[in-house]
Amino acid sequence: MAAEGSAPKIFPSSHKTVVILDHSPFMSEPCGQTVDFDILPKQSRAAPGIIPLAPLAKSLWTCTVEAASEYARVVYDVYPPRSRDKLLKFVITDTEARPLNSWVEEEQSLSNVLQGLAVVGPPSESDDAENCSVMHGLAMAVESLCEGSEKQLEHKASLADPEEPVVNKGRVVCITTVKSQGHIQMLEECMQEAIVQHNKIAEAADKLPITHCELVLIHTVPVGADNNIQDEPNKEVSSLLSCEVHSVHSGRHIAAKLALLVQKHFHLTSTTITGIPMKEEQNASTSANYDVEILHSKDAHIEILKMGSTSQGYDSSGFACSKDSFGRETVILKWCTPKTNIIELQYCTGAYRITPADVNSRPSSCLTNFLLNGRAVMLEQPRKSGSKVISHMLASHGGEIFLHCLGTGRSPLEDPPSISEGTGGRVTDYRITDYGDFMKENRLMPFPVPQEGHILPAKEAAAVLERTTRYWPLVISDTIIFNMASHIDPLPTLITKAELTEDEVVECQKSIYHLVGMESRSEPLPIPAMGTRGKGPKRDEQYRQMWAELDTLLRAHASTSVNHQKVLECLQEIRRPAEEAKESSRKAGKKEEVVVKEERVMTEQSTAELAWQEIQRYKAMSERERSDFEVGNTNNDHFRHRQQTEVSSPPIKKLKTSLEDSQGKQQGGQPSLLAIWTSRINSRYASRHCEFAGRLTAEGNKAELYVNLNKDSTNGTSDKPTSVKQEKRGP
Amino acid sequence: MPTVILLDLSLSMTRPIVSGDNDFQRKHLAIQGVSTLLDYLAAHNRLEFTALVAFSSLWELVVPFTRDYKELKEGLNRMDDYDKTCIETGLAGVSQIVMDEWGVGLPCQVIVVTDGSPGVGKGSLKESLERFYSLQHRHEDLSTEGDEFPLPFPFPSKLHLVCLATTPEVQGVLGQLQRLVDMNGGAGGVHLPEGELSMATCQALFSKLAETQFPAVAWTLKCGHMSSEVQAVPIVETFKKMYDFGPVVREPSLEMEILGFLDSKDIASPAVISRHLVLPKPTKTEKEVSEGGGAASGEGDGDTAEHDGKAPSFCVLLHGSLKVESMVALVQLGESWYGFLYSWADSKKKSNLMLSVLEPGDDAVSWLGKISQLGPVASSPHNPYGEDDTMSPYPVRHADKRSYAQNTTVWIKPSGLQTDVQKILRNARKLPDKQQTFYKELNRLRKAALSFGFVDLLEGMSAMLERECTLLPGTAHPDAALQLTHAAKELRLAINKDYDDNIAPLQTHFSKSDND
Repeated sequence: MAAEGSAPKIFPSSHKTVVILDHSPFMSEPCGQTVDFDILPKQSRAAPGIIPLAPLAKSLWTCTVEAASEYARVVYDVYPPRSRDKLLKFVITDTEARPLNSWVEEEQSLSNVLQGLAVVGPPSESDDAENCSVMHGLAMAVESLCEGSEKQLEHKASLADPEEPVVNKGRVVCITTVKSQGHIQMLEECMQEAIVQHNKIAEAADKLPITHCELVLIHTVPVGADNNIQDEPNKEVSSLLSCEVHSVHSGRHIAAKLALLVQKHFHLTSTTITGIPMKEEQNASTSANYDVEILHSKDAHIEILKMGSTSQGYDSSGFACSKDSFGRETVILKWCTPKTNIIELQYCTGAYRITPADVNSRPSSCLTNFLLNGRAVMLEQPRKSGSKVISHMLASHGGEIFLHCLGTGRSPLEDPPSISEGTGGRVTDYRITDYGDFMKENRLMPFPVPQEGHILPAKEAAAVLERTTRYWPLVISDTIIFNMASHIDPLPTLITKAELTEDEVVECQKSIYHLVGMESRSEPLPIPAMGTRGKGPKRDEQYRQMWAELDTLLRAHASTSVNHQKVLECLQEIRRPAEEAKESSRKAGKKEEVVVKEERVMTEQSTAELAWQEIQRYKAMSERERSDFEVGNTNNDHFRHRQQTEVSSPPIKKLKTSLEDSQGKQQGGQPSLLAIWTSRINSRYASRHCEFAGRLTAEGNKAELYVNLNKDSTNGTSDKPTSVKQEKRGP
Repeated sequence: MPTVILLDLSLSMTRPIVSGDNDFQRKHLAIQGVSTLLDYLAAHNRLEFTALVAFSSLWELVVPFTRDYKELKEGLNRMDDYDKTCIETGLAGVSQIVMDEWGVGLPCQVIVVTDGSPGVGKGSLKESLERFYSLQHRHEDLSTEGDEFPLPFPFPSKLHLVCLATTPEVQGVLGQLQRLVDMNGGAGGVHLPEGELSMATCQALFSKLAETQFPAVAWTLKCGHMSSEVQAVPIVETFKKMYDFGPVVREPSLEMEILGFLDSKDIASPAVISRHLVLPKPTKTEKEVSEGGGAASGEGDGDTAEHDGKAPSFCVLLHGSLKVESMVALVQLGESWYGFLYSWADSKKKSNLMLSVLEPGDDAVSWLGKISQLGPVASSPHNPYGEDDTMSPYPVRHADKRSYAQNTTVWIKPSGLQTDVQKILRNARKLPDKQQTFYKELNRLRKAALSFGFVDLLEGMSAMLERECTLLPGTAHPDAALQLTHAAKELRLAINKDYDDNIAPLQTHFSKSDND
């Protein structure tokens, strides 16, 4: 058992299997077993005296096809065709050989094979028995094995040396009836000759010569008939071919033989799950226990197999390993009544696809339906003594059932230091909730295969993470702007986008103006109390920090696009003294690029300094407003109302009419902050209006706009009508 | 990974060192060397388990697996002298100890400290090797039970043979020792002190072994611009595995880059090759954890040594959020090699960030689809998680269905056929209500009969339907008789018809009126 349990070899023979079915007239003979298909129910409501129909006799052909399709069903279930690892090809042979499918993925399915078999139909007794020979099938099998599978061709293409031969192994399972021992000899020779001949052709044509082929000859006779052919163990006929002979009766015996062979050929083993409680009737109060046998890769029991062979704890007394009547070994695992929901992550060392050994029996389909409905069940090793060992879990994922192997040994990770004991462990104000939201926004979803030239979705995800984390303070006490979401939204969300529309730029600017408004009203900032000594920094200092932080955020994103740059420019402009802003904007009209550069190289300190000056200015300005405020508390509401209506930007169409009104409202003298802001908004909307007019006369929407811009300046960036230029053109 | 130190305590280890003026035995060198190794582990790999085993012609577990390095050192000082070297016995002992403690899934380091004397007679190295080859030959013919050679170990392992001898002394044995390493899969090697045998050269040998086998590897955990220096415990080993079309080898890139996040329930316990604790690496020089983060936190964070616990770490933030939200972070560890991070708790109190390493490959988790094709939710026009977060794009369903997920027909056991026939009859008696199911089941039987070349069944089924028709009670719907007769007739004709030519219900006066 230990030798069999070892890992599969490289370039396994199981990659390509040709199944040859003998379709000669002899196969139409009855198999010697009958099947009662007309079972009268016990409490038949039918009139007494009805005689059930006579049992039917299956032909040798029917038994062979049933056994072979079961072989295919198991392979396709455990190794789904889309993985392209294990391929089957069916060949029918009588007076000629006919393939039912090819190695390509699309033709690798049981339904495809069954349809092909239906087209071929059962053999007819009247066929020309003389010219029927299984040799046609063997020749076609060899030819098929010379054809490279998709994986083999990919492997060939990946080889550094194109001359390097691809190891091309395969297996041929041939179900037929031989006449004598000499007949077998002849078939072997025929096969050997075919391989030698095809290998010669293969080298010339663009095919793969066969490195080694395993011929599994299954001789079948009706049940009860004389059988003078002996089983022969695997023997090497030559370096290219090995051969083994299995001699079986038809009927259920051939099905059992193929069920055994499929396990041997595809590194499978069997597990019987015992004690599955099932209700006999719908709504029954009691349940009986059933067993279900499943097949899966031997690797799922690697632990049990290895432990069984070397350790005493798992010997036959504790670890059940029984054999059924056909000599199949099966590992017994006990059903553990499932909890309602197993969602926690299990430590799982392997997950292998399974298939029920008896797919349409009632217990099997009960179990598979239970699992396909999303339930999972733990399986326990039966032991006479000691503690309970849960070693496996059955669960379905996307319509496929897997046997999960759970780690049962002692974990070397036990008793680890808590994360709170390490670096950063004593920090208590992490932005856990914010990062939780960040994670939810950055969840992954499957995308279809991208078209040529498009980037992989994974790369796109990386780009999103890059953008969204350019400025992301880890702790609450390190940030002001992220603690005042109600005031600053939607700016932090919008600014991380890859592209900003004009409307979104306006949204961002509105957020900035809102902050300016807050500062002018000296509203307190939501600074967290923790980590600050005494009363904490003064309010204007808080605002200085807030502006600096906002500047950092916008700077980090300014390079994303022109519109991102615009948002930063807005911030920088608003924080510059009003006259200076006007002055520089006039200059900027001429040599705008230089200004932008200057702004970028501006150090943190100089901006801070600027901010300080502004704050002084705004302070002076807000004095009057404060006096307004102090005149009477009853005026409060009115004042607030005015602030709010002006802060929230009016709709575009209305703006045009209210433009002069709002300007008229300005209270003379030095321009107030509100004035700066409104004039800026005005110029923006005015420019918009201009653009619209341009479009009306233009042939193409964009063309006209570009022309105007190019006339104005030499600056080539056409879709960047900066605020500076608009101001020039506006009034 | 756990380490077993297997110390040779045969008489030959008591041989004095020829050169030098100190009165040292080889055993003393061995003890001193192992102690150097333990000191290194105590300093750099405190969380690893180590066991101490002594062997001669028998073996003995001196100190079972522990993280208590003091206990291991005390064990070293309790060593007695025994009889002859029998390395096979020692290795068998190691095998049993590891299997009893960890099972077969966990990789282990096995360090054998010997003087390179191969032993004599039964149990000698030469005899062991000969027996191994004869066993190997017998294995090919028939599997033998019981009489097994301890190598290769049933668990993944590295085998280091440390030979406290000069090269000329062990010239003849080196080949045989190397063969032991090869037998175990080739990982590990034979180590000799450089130059003459002395305390200094032996310590150097063990120090080098410790540094190469237990390196303090630093990973960078990254999520865009956020990052953290971390350590994976135990270290993530180079992945090597033989597949159908050749070997796959992956080196860890030492950068865990977060690709995105998933809900715990969506990743659904996939198969992993190893698990590692991810611990923030204590750093002397504080690294800025996020770009511009320093600007807001102020610049005067000069003295960092005492800041270790207080300086925010991305790794801790990530752990906290993963725990609260029950989510996992999908990370890339190397070329087409992925893993996932999540919060894991050994006990209720202490939780940690854990890395589970997936098998290399784009489709390591079948139900997630190809990992390289997982993209940001933001790029999709509709949110697959739904407005109220109740939906999920997982598991990814594949177009091809497995046999148990569709109505597969298998008639190898008579009960399979009987069930299918009964199902048709049951529906036949409830015609015309069950008309749709009746024809569906009838066509399934027809198709299977055609595929299996079981044409007699079609005839038989047809006869049964006719009989069923005669048994219809007087109260039966008149359509039932019409449909049964129609089905029985069509079933006979099906033998010569196409596989896909399904039997359709008879369009009767009644069925029409039903439709109206």
